[in-house]
Amino acid sequence: MKELEKLQERIIQRVNINLRELGYDVGPFVDGLIPFSQMVKFYAFYGITTHHPLNFQFRQSNLAGSYFLGKCRVTNSLLYKSDIRGDELKQEGDRFRYRNFEIPVNQDEVIDIEDSYLIKTLVHSYSHDPETLEKFFIKDTISGHYANIHGSPADGCFFGPFSTVDLTTIRDCVVGAYSYVQAGEISHLNIEPGTIWVRSPDSFNFLYRFPVRHLNNYIYFAPGAPPKGMFMDFVEDRKDAFQRVFDVVNIESALPVPSSASLDRYAVVKPHTHIGENVLVAQRAFLQNAWLGKGANAQENCYIINSKLEGNNVTAHGGKIIEADLGNNVFVGFNSFLRGRPDCRLTIGKESIVMPHTIIDIREPLAIPPGQIVWGLITTSKDLATNSMPVSDFYKINGRFFKGDMIFEGSGAAFVSAFMNRIHHILKANGAYFNGAENKGHAQRNQRISFNTIQPYPLGPLEGLYPTISIQP
Amino acid sequence: MKNFLVKDLMVPVSEYATVPKGATLFEAVTALEKAQEEFDVEHNLYHHRAILILDYNQQVIGKLSQLGVLRALLPRDESIRRIEDISRFGFSPKLVNNLQERYRLEAGIMEDVYKKAARMKVEDYMQTPSEGEYVEENAPLDTAVHQLVQGTHLSLLVTREGKIVGILRLSDVFAAIFHVMKDSELSS
Repeated sequence: MKELEKLQERIIQRVNINLRELGYDVGPFVDGLIPFSQMVKFYAFYGITTHHPLNFQFRQSNLAGSYFLGKCRVTNSLLYKSDIRGDELKQEGDRFRYRNFEIPVNQDEVIDIEDSYLIKTLVHSYSHDPETLEKFFIKDTISGHYANIHGSPADGCFFGPFSTVDLTTIRDCVVGAYSYVQAGEISHLNIEPGTIWVRSPDSFNFLYRFPVRHLNNYIYFAPGAPPKGMFMDFVEDRKDAFQRVFDVVNIESALPVPSSASLDRYAVVKPHTHIGENVLVAQRAFLQNAWLGKGANAQENCYIINSKLEGNNVTAHGGKIIEADLGNNVFVGFNSFLRGRPDCRLTIGKESIVMPHTIIDIREPLAIPPGQIVWGLITTSKDLATNSMPVSDFYKINGRFFKGDMIFEGSGAAFVSAFMNRIHHILKANGAYFNGAENKGHAQRNQRISFNTIQPYPLGPLEGLYPTISIQP
Repeated sequence: MKNFLVKDLMVPVSEYATVPKGATLFEAVTALEKAQEEFDVEHNLYHHRAILILDYNQQVIGKLSQLGVLRALLPRDESIRRIEDISRFGFSPKLVNNLQERYRLEAGIMEDVYKKAARMKVEDYMQTPSEGEYVEENAPLDTAVHQLVQGTHLSLLVTREGKIVGILRLSDVFAAIFHVMKDSELSS
């Protein structure tokens, strides 16, 4: 596995060169994080549909356990159990709106991963950068367990475990564990763990920082050891269930799935689960005694356990909902962790917005009224009072606003509208509004996917590397 | 300007406020007060505004400015660090000031801040001179002007054979230049 070692060394060096200004050495964090022996064990797989361009190119890389859909190119990289989901990439002939510009897209967009190391990372959406419309690049970048790179071209970055970069072009930055960044364009920043930052320059700026001593109980990442904490324990405890769906070639589900809904064959579905119309369940989602009403979804790395989602619920990538009841149109942002208990359930009223990377972990029953916006760490009703407010009140903010550890500056109306539009876009893209003929989305389009597997050299000097592969129609 | 040399305008170290390394801010401020009282105000409009810190060999190792003393009044804890950090995220200076004010009010930290600051050591707040802050005593004034402007310094340390012998203050340089300017305008 000499080639894999060399590849890892090369990637670490390239990232460190980019992060030299921050004086950051990723080596101690990354070295040994995934044993090379693991990288030889798992096959990679790609999906073929009639709705997405078929164009994969893999060169000088390891792709263990990773999934590819849409147009992807991977060069000199290590991708470990990552999802490269190119089903929202722009296509030739599309027109991209940016401020007052309407820019034609000249060729199908490609996810281009080069000299990077992604661990259990989700890559999704499309490049929102008007300067690089046809290439969603990820270059000289390392990402930790369950990171999300969502519509965010990245160059020279280190993303900690459970971090998310969303709709942001990001260069030479460190994003700490469980941080969420949506800021348009940033460079040369070291963002501490547990930072939730949503900024639209000249419009609004939202910042919340988790109290580190509490966050460490959920996720803690230090050099020389894998990530630790409740988040890791939670996913590790359910790892075996995924083993089966990846081991078996043809898997049959006894669960009735409406013709307008999509249940990915790489999702885990435990008993007493209900799938409504227009529901989308993505690969690596985990459902157990979950009731998903019409138009609800569970994206990659979502866990919905002993919970009911009334309908049109967005559960973004990595969201976890346990012992909870969610009304209609509740949005749960990326990597949120919502945990009630059997004897003290969590209820979230309709049309509420749970901000990305929110932790609600209760030991007393908690009911969030309809139409609330919720953020940060909530373990009691007192925390809820500090870290939430009616969406209608948030809308009225104009200027500076502080609540608990949350800081806001700018237009609340623009902030709320941006979220509302985003939620609407996600529901539309997922096919929640499908009426039998119109408004098809992922739930309808992703139903008939053929999966093919590819494997690395099992032995010899190239052990662990996948051969150069080009797959086209 | 060509007629002036740096040594013509400098204040000798002996006339300046100095304290040894290890002194407290209170001792430094007291030394400054004493130097100001002894200062010849008839021939010079501008009071001293800084204190020189000397090592055991009486060599200047740093300069404590008024701003340096004020800096000691600001709390330096984790909360303040987190507030200051906010400006990295694109928030306005107004918002950052607002947060600092709220924090000071909530924590009641202004009460004994003066007492605490008075006991701080000068070396924690002094500024170590950079390379561009030294000028030879026989250098022409335009060299010093260049250094003051380029480095946005309020004063330069004047050297003779490697030893610091005086201070060239921006205020004295400005006054000298102003007089030359005025004379030439009036005579033309």
